[in-house]
Amino acid sequence: MEDKEKTLGEIWKDVRRKHLFPELPHPIWDEQEERVALDIKEKRISISESFVQELSQFMDPARAISGLLDHAVSHYLHCPWDLSTHLRLYREAKKVLKDKQMAQKATGYFMDVVADTMCISQKESHLPEVYRHIRRGIMDEALHALYQKIWGVDLGVKGYEEVARKLSRLPYLDRRKWTDTIKKFAKIVQSLLEVEEKFGGLNRPNPMGEHSLQQYSSDEINEGLKQFAKEVETPGEFKEIVEDLQEELLEAMEPNERGMGLGPGRSLDADVLYYMKLAENYSLPVRKMPLEKSGALYPYQHVPWEVGMPFRDIDPWTSFGKIMPGITQMWQRREGEMFGREEATPDCIVLIDSSGSMTNPRQSLSYAVLGAACACDAYLRNDAQVAVYNFSDAKAGGSQILPFTRHRMAIYKTLCHYFGGGTKLLIEDIESLQTRNNPDIFLITDMQITNLETLIQYFNEKNNRVTAVHIGDNEHVRTFRKSMALRKNVAIFSVEKKEDIPKIVLGRIKEYFHAASRF
Amino acid sequence: MRMASQSNGALREAVHEIHDYIQENLYLNRPDMTVNGKKYNSALLLCLISGLRKGKTLIIGEPGLGKTTSAEYVCSLLYRFPLGTIWGSEVAGHPEQTEEKIIGRPDLGKLNLGEEVVVWSHFAMLPVKIVDEINRLPETKQSMILDGVDRGNWEYLNDAIINKEYCLFATANYQDRGTNTIIAPLVDRFDLMVESKHPGANLAYLIGMRGAGGAVLRHEELEAEFHRVLSQRTSYEARMEAVESLCDRFGEILKNEANITTLSRAQREIIRAEMDNIPFDLDANAFLRMVLCELSFCHRFGQKRSNETCEEGCHFTGYTCNGIRNCISNRFPISARNMAQGLAWFVGDKEVGIEHLKAILPYTLAHRIQWKDEVIAQHEKEPRSDPLPIYMAKQCVKVMHRRYMEQGGQIKNALAVACRVAEGESLEPIKGDHPIFWEIRKDLGEEVLEQ
Amino acid sequence: MRNPFKEFGCLSVEKKELPLERIVRAREEVMGQMIHGYLKLVEEEVKDLVWLVEHSRVVKAYSAAVKSIRDLQYDVDDIEEFCGELDSSNKIPYMISGPAGIYVSALINHAKEDRIVLRLRDYQRTFHFLGYRLPEGKTLILQGDVGDFVGAGLSGGRLVVEGSVGNWCGAGMMKGEIQITENSGQNTGEWMRGGEIHVEGRIRSVGKTLFGGRIFQRGKLVMPQDLELDI
Repeated sequence: MEDKEKTLGEIWKDVRRKHLFPELPHPIWDEQEERVALDIKEKRISISESFVQELSQFMDPARAISGLLDHAVSHYLHCPWDLSTHLRLYREAKKVLKDKQMAQKATGYFMDVVADTMCISQKESHLPEVYRHIRRGIMDEALHALYQKIWGVDLGVKGYEEVARKLSRLPYLDRRKWTDTIKKFAKIVQSLLEVEEKFGGLNRPNPMGEHSLQQYSSDEINEGLKQFAKEVETPGEFKEIVEDLQEELLEAMEPNERGMGLGPGRSLDADVLYYMKLAENYSLPVRKMPLEKSGALYPYQHVPWEVGMPFRDIDPWTSFGKIMPGITQMWQRREGEMFGREEATPDCIVLIDSSGSMTNPRQSLSYAVLGAACACDAYLRNDAQVAVYNFSDAKAGGSQILPFTRHRMAIYKTLCHYFGGGTKLLIEDIESLQTRNNPDIFLITDMQITNLETLIQYFNEKNNRVTAVHIGDNEHVRTFRKSMALRKNVAIFSVEKKEDIPKIVLGRIKEYFHAASRF
Repeated sequence: MRMASQSNGALREAVHEIHDYIQENLYLNRPDMTVNGKKYNSALLLCLISGLRKGKTLIIGEPGLGKTTSAEYVCSLLYRFPLGTIWGSEVAGHPEQTEEKIIGRPDLGKLNLGEEVVVWSHFAMLPVKIVDEINRLPETKQSMILDGVDRGNWEYLNDAIINKEYCLFATANYQDRGTNTIIAPLVDRFDLMVESKHPGANLAYLIGMRGAGGAVLRHEELEAEFHRVLSQRTSYEARMEAVESLCDRFGEILKNEANITTLSRAQREIIRAEMDNIPFDLDANAFLRMVLCELSFCHRFGQKRSNETCEEGCHFTGYTCNGIRNCISNRFPISARNMAQGLAWFVGDKEVGIEHLKAILPYTLAHRIQWKDEVIAQHEKEPRSDPLPIYMAKQCVKVMHRRYMEQGGQIKNALAVACRVAEGESLEPIKGDHPIFWEIRKDLGEEVLEQ
Repeated sequence: MRNPFKEFGCLSVEKKELPLERIVRAREEVMGQMIHGYLKLVEEEVKDLVWLVEHSRVVKAYSAAVKSIRDLQYDVDDIEEFCGELDSSNKIPYMISGPAGIYVSALINHAKEDRIVLRLRDYQRTFHFLGYRLPEGKTLILQGDVGDFVGAGLSGGRLVVEGSVGNWCGAGMMKGEIQITENSGQNTGEWMRGGEIHVEGRIRSVGKTLFGGRIFQRGKLVMPQDLELDI
């Protein structure tokens, strides 16, 4: 192909305009991969030169390139749209197929069908012509038979009527139903995938490109995991999917992504990651500088001068040089408001109860861990440090202390640790974390602490700001409330629905931090 | 006739020359936006377009990064004023500013004789208005210049002048001790907010070596002439005619001595007329409507209001309306339209398309959107190269654009059907999930209640 | 009043429609009618959401079901999808097993296809009364375990269950054949008048009252026992 860069540039310009200017970088040629037409890495589309050359035996190469670009752009525009949708689809497919590789394949094919059908339904495209001429495996044949039926085009496929008939009933264009649709899709194509698996076809790459997670940028992966953590019902669900795709996630993330504790050579702790991502959905803003009185008086407005009022504030300009009632104006001065000195955010000691009466965060969603995570993130975001005291039966060794740090991963690992034993904390452990700057204390527990009296006495002696969040109601709670009733620096919150924890935690911290002022 | 032939790209070329001259010689900075495949510096490009469009621009940035000087250069070359004259008309933002210093004062001599005659400030008279560090002005003073800034209408005692042509540039540092907020009604009147960024170490070094530029835009003799004319005690209109002649003289000097093409008032009028005539293509039209919808819609309460909060579990949680506190004002579509047309004209396109809107919208929205705290918290620590308000506006526009790419066809279809329904055809309005489908039905007289 | 949409007047409102959209629309229409028919049946037949298995009720429910699907144009894929809807309860607020199975059986018996395969393996719920009154010339293959009264009143059709069945399998069947690849529950073949039941696995118990017909376990005749002596 002569001047392939120029050709690609012109075709890309047209495709971009047709699809209303998607935010995708200019595509490039890939000289290596022959069997696969396209690849997308961090949204950069690369088109296989040899693939296009092969297609050009049957069709105009410009139309081939245009069709391939339509396919790639449609994936960005329609399906999977983002990582959380991709993971959701994969999860549903895996529920039916129970096998990772088959689920990945089924998800990829489903996304191809949706993206292509959306494209065909909305734009003029040369994609059908591309499909007419590419080499096909078993699944490709079946899907092209489907396309014949649902697009009303002839792609030269014979057979597969039953599969095509069943597949054609699915509402691919309705995004709200994708979760159900992919399950039905997977159910229908399961037998074909099993045949492919038998003959090694599952290892053959999809001619239109695989849907690896490398198509997403680092930021998109972070955002996608955050969304996905919010959607799943249990940490186990999150863990299953993330562990399945662990290698791909690690490859796609930046090597020095320390925030997630990921990196080459290190494995994911999916449980910790779950809470990290879930807590990111509940964020507090960075505190802006508070408005305060400046202490300086400035001329604020004019008021009429009256006999008997001092002369010094008379404004000769507005008085036109005259001193007489009704004409003379004087300045009224007022103390100005301006942005004051930025207050530092205190550090925070988080006391989290992980005794047997608390939920195991790795098995079910622990709102205590979530609440503590939200608190930690809020302090970290305000450039403070956090220390963690995770206790169960501390005297018997059931405790973990993390000194003040800003290392998010270490904080979360300590929060997520579950002892499941008795409930007794050691005051000296808390005292060892105290500093001169009087850090805040955040306590999350069900208050069924055997040495609660000791804790109450400790809080009575200290001046730290304490926020205590407890789940449920019992006599220990009543004792604690009664003892802390007169303490102005101690705020106690009862959580009747566990869903309230993030809101209460953030509400309380918000009071600590001054309200943000507009620019 | 000469004007007509000039308008065939020659005026555009002249504006490009001004842009290139400033970029090469006066305001050295990195490009940070791309339009039609070409890279531009946003502060320079948008100030230029705003200057041509009689717009109002808020320029933010760290001290010493060229906020004021960039505005001065643009004003000088677009309106043909020497720098000294512009300096003399600038209003400095500080707490001791008074109406008499900003707008005008009585002629004291005449006042003693019992006559009320107003001596107008250069700021009020000249078409180029620069307010330096506007957020250092106390809020009462900001209100004072509100009306003048909005309509070019300046009143003092019983007299008034109306500027036929003007543009406003206001600069503001980031908040620190000694700054106030800019009052909401004033902020809303700005068409654009841009940041004058640090140019990077290498360009900054060059700036250091060259020293302050702009000497070519000074002319002491003419500046004295300007001062004399502006100080005359004749009618405002007469003085402006005289000023225009002086501007033409300055333009000739720039052409002869520095080979810089500048624009006369008549040429600026032609450019504006050309810009006004650039139509929106249907996609840009529909996209802008979609944006307006997402920034004003509230299914539960009829519209967005700053004193009302979103209900939990609202069906429209995924849309921009859920992330903002206020309702977008009607000045926004005017700004968007004017600036998008300006940009389209500048790059030589015959229609305003989505690409123009995508480039312009973040800068027209950044200062107008009040984000909810939790939304700010989600974004403030993300890596970016813009200040937070502009970054969040860019992200917001990106997200809305992506939605438009997905649903644009249906939206246009819905608008087409709505047109026919409004003309009396009995068609069923198209239903959809996006708020715009609900708004269309409301506009067609349907009562759309929350279910 | 000013038309704010005037600029879009030049756009054609005809949308490009793919065959997919027509197929999905038709399918949704049929599914809607099926669900409507089922819910109507439940409303009429089920009082207080409790339905007792009595012969007369079963007959009445079946007649009502047949009446409601009389004018429905559907195929085997629709039946399968309807079973899916019954299982997931997305659109169906209550799934009452007896009437549900009878309704499905009515759909099966009046479908155009002679051979119908239903994959029940993936469903959470257990379906009862499947294969009720399956007529001659029809083959119904059920993949997965099924509930009670499977093949009840079989009327000449061939019912194959690739899994286990519950109690009262083949109750009151007239003629035809039931093949079960795994186990059957209690009262297998109760009140049967004719036909054959073949169970490859365990039979928990055979019905006490058999008026005719034969039951085989792993190829061996188990009922009626005196017939075996004759053979």
